[in-house]
Amino acid sequence: MIQQTQYTPTTTKYNFPPQALQDATLPQRFIELSLRSIKKIHNNSALYQPYQTITEDAINPTEEVTPVFQGQTTLKLRTIPLKPRPSQKPVIAIDVSSIKIGETNTGIILALRAATVWKQGSRGYRYLRFGPFPFHITEENRQEIYGLFHQYSINQPEAGTLIGAPDIVHIQTRMTTLLERWLQTQIAAQSKNSLILLDGSLTAGTNDTSIQAMQQLLDTARSNNSIVLAFTKITRLRLNGCNLTDLINKYPPPCLLQTDGYPTTAYSHIRFLGDIYVAKLNPNGYAFRLDIDNTITNQQAVESVEHLIANDLVTDGYPETLRLAHIYSTFTANEVIGIQRFLAQTHGIRIVQRPNVRRLLFGPFGKGPSES
Amino acid sequence: MRLYRKEGNTVHILSFPNENVEKGDYLIIEDSKKNRALIVQVIDVQFANVPGLIEELLRDSTSSDSDNVDLALNGQDFDPLEVASHITYIQDSSILICKIRANIENSRISTGGTWLPSRSQSTIKRLPTASLLNLINISQALPISLGETKDSTPLNIDATALDGRLNIVTGKKETGKSHISKLLVLGLVQHGAPVVVLDLNGEYAHLGLGGDGKQNEYGGKVHVLIPGANFKVSLTQMKLRVMLNILLHALNLPGTSAREFRRIWQLLDERSTLTLQELGETIRNWRCNQHVRDALFSRYYALVNSGFFTDNASEALGLEDCFQLIRSSGGALVVNLKDTSLVDRQIVVEYILGKLVDLLTQHVVKAAFLFAEEAHLYLRETYWDDIVTRMRHFGVFTTFVTNQPDTIRENIYRQADNIFLFNFTNEHDLETVSRAARVDAETVKSIAFDLPPQHCLLLGNAVRDFPLVIKVRSLNVQTMGQTRLFFVQKTSSKANSI
Repeated sequence: MIQQTQYTPTTTKYNFPPQALQDATLPQRFIELSLRSIKKIHNNSALYQPYQTITEDAINPTEEVTPVFQGQTTLKLRTIPLKPRPSQKPVIAIDVSSIKIGETNTGIILALRAATVWKQGSRGYRYLRFGPFPFHITEENRQEIYGLFHQYSINQPEAGTLIGAPDIVHIQTRMTTLLERWLQTQIAAQSKNSLILLDGSLTAGTNDTSIQAMQQLLDTARSNNSIVLAFTKITRLRLNGCNLTDLINKYPPPCLLQTDGYPTTAYSHIRFLGDIYVAKLNPNGYAFRLDIDNTITNQQAVESVEHLIANDLVTDGYPETLRLAHIYSTFTANEVIGIQRFLAQTHGIRIVQRPNVRRLLFGPFGKGPSES
Repeated sequence: MRLYRKEGNTVHILSFPNENVEKGDYLIIEDSKKNRALIVQVIDVQFANVPGLIEELLRDSTSSDSDNVDLALNGQDFDPLEVASHITYIQDSSILICKIRANIENSRISTGGTWLPSRSQSTIKRLPTASLLNLINISQALPISLGETKDSTPLNIDATALDGRLNIVTGKKETGKSHISKLLVLGLVQHGAPVVVLDLNGEYAHLGLGGDGKQNEYGGKVHVLIPGANFKVSLTQMKLRVMLNILLHALNLPGTSAREFRRIWQLLDERSTLTLQELGETIRNWRCNQHVRDALFSRYYALVNSGFFTDNASEALGLEDCFQLIRSSGGALVVNLKDTSLVDRQIVVEYILGKLVDLLTQHVVKAAFLFAEEAHLYLRETYWDDIVTRMRHFGVFTTFVTNQPDTIRENIYRQADNIFLFNFTNEHDLETVSRAARVDAETVKSIAFDLPPQHCLLLGNAVRDFPLVIKVRSLNVQTMGQTRLFFVQKTSSKANSI
C-alpha cells in the first residue's frame, strides 16, 4: 500500500502566507496539480534517473533576444555616472529554478522551486521560499498544467488566446518562466515604492512571456510606485561590432552605459519593454545588461539604480538580493536525491538507473558534451 | 541500512538517521540467497559523502546568525509537501565503518569472511549483544560479572578465560582501571582462585569491607600484607638465589661482592646460624678486601633498615604461610606497598616473585593470579620477559594495570590474551596499545578514543575475540581508590554554610 500525502485545501498550512502573497489561488491549484500529477503514476512505477542532474540553467542558458540598436545617425554611447542614494526603498528579488528529477514510462518528473529575497534599510535580508513542487508531466496532463500556469500568469486571460502547450522536452523551461512571471506579478501587486529585481530581461512576445503578461507586470509595479529592474547575467549586446560590456570598462564605476539608438529585432512579435543599459555597479565587479521599465523617465531609471547600489549589497557588480534568490531557489544534487526519496516513500515510485547507452556502445569514448 | 563497500575486512554501510547505530555496535549482514551472514562491528561513524552537501551548508550558513545585522538573512520555507524532511534525511545519512568479525554459514560461526555479500539482496540488522553472546557461546561455568553492554545486556566473562593468560588493564587516569581490576580479583577469589596483588597505592586493602565499612562476603578471604609490619620474613625462609636477586637487582651489589656474600651465606647455612645478626657479624669478621666489606655492609644495613627481615621466628611470616591462608577456598593476598620506599618495594617484590616461583616449582601452590599495578615502578627489566614466558609456565598468570601503556613492552602486548581497555585520548598511547595481536589497530584507536569513563573495551580471549564495550558495574566495597584532595573540605564546608 502506498502512503499517500494528505492534502486538504482548507488547511492554512497549504496556503501561501497571506502577508506575502495576495492571490493564493495559483498556489492552491498548483499544489493540487502537483499532487494529482504524481498520484497518477502507477504504484511501483519506475523513475529512470537522468545520468546527471540537469538544471534549468544548463538546458536553457539565458534565452536572450539580443536587440540591434538603430538610429538616424552614427550611434553614440552615453555614460551615466552613479552616486549611491540611500533610502528606505525595499529591494525585492525573485528567482525560480527547476530540475528534471527523472523520466517515467509516460513522461517526465520535474521539480520547481521559487525564492523571493528582500531587504529594507538595515534590517538585513529576508527570504521566502516556495517548494520544491514535483510535477509529473505526461502527454495527457501537459495541456492542463500549462493552462493553469498561463491562466494565472496574467490576471485576465484572453479567451481563446491560450498558446498550445509546448512538447514535453521544452515544458520545463516554459513552466519555470510562467511560475516566475506569476510570482513577479504577485510581488509587484503587493509591494509599494520598491525596487523589484528580476533575473533576465524585459523582452516580451517570446514563447515564455507574452507582451500582455510583461506589460501587466510593469503596469502593476508602476501603479504601486515600484520600479522593475531586470539583470541579464550573460549578454551578447553589441554596438558597431563591439561588446558593450567590454566598452563600459573604460569608465569609472559605478556607472551605466546607454546608446542613443533604439533597440530593434528581426522578429516582429518581439517587443522590448525596457530601456536597455549596461551596468557596472562596483569597481571590481562584472558588467551586466540591465533593462528598466521604459515608461518611466530616464532620471527615474537612473535614480532607481542609485537607490539600488545604496540599499543593497553589490558584490561582483551583482545585487545581493538577486544572488541570494538564485542561491535559495537552485537545487543541489542532494535535494534531487531527497525529492526522489519523497516520491519513493510517499508514492511508491521505484528509482531506477537507466543504462547509459552511449557508455555501453562507446565505452570511455561515450561521454556526453558535459562530461568531455 | 545498505551495504555500500567492502575493502579487505572493512565494510562500509550506508545508514540513515533513524537507525541510530553507534561505535562498538554489532551488525549482521544476511544474504538469504547464499544462506550466509557476516557479523561486523561498527568501529567508526562518518557522514555520508552526499553530493551537493557543501552547497547546502554554504547556503544555510548565509542564513544563520551573522554578526552584522545589516547582512543577516532570515526567512521561511513554504513546503506544503514536506519534501524538506526527506532532504534533511539524506543530509544526515552516515557511513558506518565496520570490521568483519565472523562469518556464519549454515548456523555455524567461523572467523573471517572471504565472501562478498550481495549489495542489493543483503539485509542488515543490528545484532543485540545477547544474540551475539549466544552465537559466540562464551562459557558461563565460572562467571565474573563485569557490567553491562550498551543495550543493557549483563556481561559475564568466564574465570577460565583468565586462567593461564596474560592480561592488561590500561587506560588514562580516572577512567576505572583499578575498579575493573578489583572486580577481576574478587571474581577470581569468588571461584576459589589464589590471587596476589601488588598494591602500589593501598587501594585493595579494604576489599574485604563493604561500602558501609562492615565486613563483606570477601572479608575472610582478603589478607592484607604490610611489609615491615605484619609481613616479615626470616633469612631461613629465603633461598640464596632469592637473596642474591635482591642484592644484585634491588641493591645493585657488584658481582665480586656477591661472590663473597654467597660464601658467607653458605657458611651460615651450613652452621644453621642464618640470622640477620650472624650475617652482620660474619661480614664484619670476614677476610676480604675492605671495599668488598664496605659494599656488603651497606647492603646489609639496607636489608636491616627495610624492616622486612626479622630474626624473631614468631614475627616471620613466609609467603608459603600466607598461601596456607587461601589454599582451601581461595583468597587474595594484598601486598600493600603504599608506604614502602622504592628500594624496599623492590626488595619485597623480588622476594615475592622468587618465592612464588619456588612454591610453584615445588607444587606447594598449584597456580597464582598476580595483579601488578604500575609494575614498572618495582619490576626489574628482566622480569617482564620472565613473567610472560617462563613464569607463566610455572603457573603465575599476570594482570598488568597501568595508565602509561608505553611502560609495558611491545612483546607483552603481542602476547596479551585479554586487554581491558579504557579511554585514551593521546594518540601515542593508542598507538602503543594497538600493537596488541588480538585485534586490529583501527578498532583500538577508534573505539577507545571515544570511550566515556567507566566504560571499557574488552578484547581477547574472554570475549572470544569479539571486542565488546561495557559499562563497568559498581562494586560495594571500600575501594580506597580516590585521590586525596586538598580543596574538598573547604568547598564542602562552604557549600554547607550556604
